[in-house]
Amino acid sequence: MSRLNAKLIAEIGLTLALGIVLHMIPIYQLPQGGRITPGSLVPLFVISLRRGYKVGLITGAVFGILVYLIEPFFVHPIQFILDYPLAFSLLGLSGFVSNIPIVGVLLGAFGRLLSHIISGVVYFSSYAPQGMNPWIYSITYNASVILPDAFLALIITIVILPRLPNR
Amino acid sequence: MAIEISFGQYLPLNSPIHRLDPRIKLIAIFISIIFIFIVKNFYGYALLACFLLGLVILSKVPPLYIFRGLKPLIFFILLTFALHLFTTQGTVIFQFWVLKGTIEGLRNGLLMVARFMLLISFSTLLTLTCSPLELTDALESLLSPLKRIGFPSHEIAMMMSIALRFIPVLVEETNRIIKAQVARGADIESGGILNRAKNLIPILVPLFINTFKRADDLALAMEVRCYRGGEGRTRMKEYTLSQSDFLFLFTSIIVGIVSVLI
Repeated sequence: MSRLNAKLIAEIGLTLALGIVLHMIPIYQLPQGGRITPGSLVPLFVISLRRGYKVGLITGAVFGILVYLIEPFFVHPIQFILDYPLAFSLLGLSGFVSNIPIVGVLLGAFGRLLSHIISGVVYFSSYAPQGMNPWIYSITYNASVILPDAFLALIITIVILPRLPNR
Repeated sequence: MAIEISFGQYLPLNSPIHRLDPRIKLIAIFISIIFIFIVKNFYGYALLACFLLGLVILSKVPPLYIFRGLKPLIFFILLTFALHLFTTQGTVIFQFWVLKGTIEGLRNGLLMVARFMLLISFSTLLTLTCSPLELTDALESLLSPLKRIGFPSHEIAMMMSIALRFIPVLVEETNRIIKAQVARGADIESGGILNRAKNLIPILVPLFINTFKRADDLALAMEVRCYRGGEGRTRMKEYTLSQSDFLFLFTSIIVGIVSVLI
């Protein structure tokens, strides 16, 4: 990737801080750790759409680790990677289609959903007995958390994006 | 609606465990986690639990804090236990409606619960005795060999440090903007989820703009101080490995191996 200069590092660092701050204001919390927040993902979408997908992928991965530090949920090493660094990193995919923010945000949210679903399946295959269908539970549960969150983030991102100063 | 700052779980105490090198703690916890997955019987888990108990006592962390780490996962733990108890085939010990509890199921369920609780407790102990900034430094140091293949380990650690440093600043700023908008008549606490999200926009727009301004100022401050990445950068506090670090690492490996073998 291109050199990370001071400007980019500072911008990513503050974007992460903003994401964490917004993450601390929950609107709704589910018993198993998922929460709907007022657009804690918006800073990640904004930086991916403005700076491209590479910056988005890195920012997301670091954000995932910070989220883990706030609310650790660790049951399996693969689950950890899928639920934290990878899931949030995939939000950066939105930078691929930065000229159409709606499609970009949906693509990023889909990436995250996929990662959480696979992580749910990993959890089930290592803790639950044989013979259960882990996919159905994992898809239902994760979609119920991530889709509302992504929907809120989509609306907020689209409203905010044109109001930010250009650079 | 003021946001409280409660970042991470770090408990700043002065104990032998707190004084250990964060890199060693990270590696030792990682090794313990691998062993937790390899162990297949109760004796192994009992030994690991004793090891954990010893570490908790040494770290002076009140055991209540470890249990607090388990609280959000109670649902998962119970679900896992019930699944094993009722779906494993074997000798039925009790029957409840259509559900048959078997002795094998009970055994498997308890093993899974033990594995779960140990995993969570070990990782909770790490975040209780290691500040987020120490963990960031440890991560930078452990990932630095990857620099050779172009992995920006210093830059990533720098971003994390900036984020950790600016979280309290942005919390304060958010609270100030919320107050300013409420004073102008904004209503942010009532209505459904959609309405609340809509009401947040007057708060988020100035917050984003100020954050990007801050980033510009910070970048300028870094540049005038000749920041140019990790090459040749020195630290105020260097981590050095001491005897107790090696002793701790060695003990964790031995405990892990013995718990697999017994």
